[in-house]
Amino acid sequence: MRVTSFQFPKTFLGFLPLYIAVEVVLGITILNKCSGAYGILAIFTGHPLDFMQGLSYLWSIFTLIVYAQGLYEIHKPSLLTFSQIFVFYSIDTICTCFFTLWFTKVWFGVESNEENQNGISKRGADIASQGATQAYEYTITMFITWVSLIFRLYFNSILASYVKELLSNPRFMIDQDDVAQDLKNKAFYKRWWIKCQKESYKLCRRLLA
Amino acid sequence: MAGFIHRWFLSERPLNSKVSELETSWNPRVSLIRLKNYKPTIKDICHYGFLSSVLLFVFISFPAPWLLKLFVYCLFGLLFMIPITSQLFFNALPIFTWLALYFTSSFFPASKRPPITVKVLPAIETILYGDNLSDILATTTNSFYDILAWIPYGLFHFGAPFVVAAILFVFGPPTILQGYAFAFGYMNLFGVIMQNVFPAAPPWYKILYGLNSANYGMHGSPGGLARIDKLLHINIYTQGFSNSSVIFGAFPSLHSGCATMEALFFSYCFPFLRPVFIGYVCWLWWSTMYLTHHYFVDLMAGSVLSYVIFLYTKYTHLPIVDTDLFCRWSYDSIEKFNMVKSNPLNNDPSDVENVPLNMMATSSAMGSELDGELDTDNGESNDETDGDEDAGNPRSMSPTLFDLSNSSATSNTSLDLQGDATPRSIKPRAFD
Repeated sequence: MRVTSFQFPKTFLGFLPLYIAVEVVLGITILNKCSGAYGILAIFTGHPLDFMQGLSYLWSIFTLIVYAQGLYEIHKPSLLTFSQIFVFYSIDTICTCFFTLWFTKVWFGVESNEENQNGISKRGADIASQGATQAYEYTITMFITWVSLIFRLYFNSILASYVKELLSNPRFMIDQDDVAQDLKNKAFYKRWWIKCQKESYKLCRRLLA
Repeated sequence: MAGFIHRWFLSERPLNSKVSELETSWNPRVSLIRLKNYKPTIKDICHYGFLSSVLLFVFISFPAPWLLKLFVYCLFGLLFMIPITSQLFFNALPIFTWLALYFTSSFFPASKRPPITVKVLPAIETILYGDNLSDILATTTNSFYDILAWIPYGLFHFGAPFVVAAILFVFGPPTILQGYAFAFGYMNLFGVIMQNVFPAAPPWYKILYGLNSANYGMHGSPGGLARIDKLLHINIYTQGFSNSSVIFGAFPSLHSGCATMEALFFSYCFPFLRPVFIGYVCWLWWSTMYLTHHYFVDLMAGSVLSYVIFLYTKYTHLPIVDTDLFCRWSYDSIEKFNMVKSNPLNNDPSDVENVPLNMMATSSAMGSELDGELDTDNGESNDETDGDEDAGNPRSMSPTLFDLSNSSATSNTSLDLQGDATPRSIKPRAFD
């Protein structure tokens, strides 16, 4: 499967160079991924944590590490690193859509339970108290959720475009092999990490080159 | 004392260097001449036009005698005209505009304010981050955690901007303080506008009132800081937060925005201490949620706002830092970013070995048309590169915040390249 027929953005917001876009995308994503580190603290604070929450927090921490390496290389990018980032970002986009759906269901379950327990009346006619109506709150919630997902997709296409540019630029061609990198004498996790980058690179070549 | 200052700060000062000098004139005529010769750009018009409109709005809205308001505005006008005071006050215009709007916020009539949302933030928090992270962190409280949370939230937050400004002024390159004032002021200004346009209840509201409807007659709450008041036998936070100017201003968190901005500027100037600054932001985030003052989504909004404004400032205003130099007086010139030259995807068109492969493909297909295309695409960067002798100098590249690694871009004689540049029958070797 190739995605070269897609028209990826050549600039950020129509006028900024792609490397600035990548700096923005990775920075914003990394900030958001910090949620995993705070969420997982539930283990120590005694707050109940279900399987899906734990999974999403651990996934956030892992992707945080993957994305962080990209910010260190904004001005001197490596094709291996950015291939890995693009592949994990794409997987992460699918995961984010799934988690968003899942937690939306959880929230509306919790909300209706609380309202039943507390006997909160509908606030539609109570605008005089300056509180927002149910419809207003629901609309804003859905608006922010959709905007965040749409931005997520746009950011993904930015990364795809950037990796595509790197693939087509001879300055970033890869000229390493396992012997040159001395993989045999490296720790297990480093070998796994580099292998992961290489597989990502191969995938990106197939999809984007 | 003079000897100490000279030994520590002025010993590396380049001869005849004037970039670090401050304005010492008291003569308003100097400013008038500058104003006469000043030609505003479109960016300047947007900048001053926006700040002026906010200040005009404040002038009309603030409930004080007209003469008093006029006097204050004239006083500021005078301070802007005197060169020695202008360099401080005029550059801090975004900060004064933010403060003016912030203190006016409490006087907006309730009938003209947007409705207060109480469910949006906890809903977004759960949908995007799996749960209410503030609830998670505030599940267990004790005195040690209270003090630990109070230090960055209740103490450092208020003093840090001044400390950061002073350190940047002395140890950063000249003019960096202008950039800091611009970024810090705009971040807070946009933050306060958002808080007023989208009033939202903080986590303490949910703890006190559940998801019940809010109104502008309610008083604010110190949240977890009430425990600090009790512990220290004081009433500062209870009183301060009860009468806050923006009670339902949870979104975005300006505590988070300020801490992020400070960390970004410090990381920019002192990259070797970056982990410390990241640690400070994480500490403040934790304390903010632990004290039930903000949801995680508020913190993200504040930090993202800071990050975007910082990047804008970095690429348009900030001087490039030379980490080998000790302080502002060590600089002999100020260099700024060149977005085109810093672009790692830009190739020097004179280097035929680095022509992008897609262009090579075009070349084989379209023959001589390539030459014209190359000239068009890279003409701008080519001109600038030709004119700059430092094009290959690492110092002239932008020292990105996180830029520590060496380039992994390797030889362009790679077999991989040949595999792509030549017919497909030659299989690329790498990783196969």
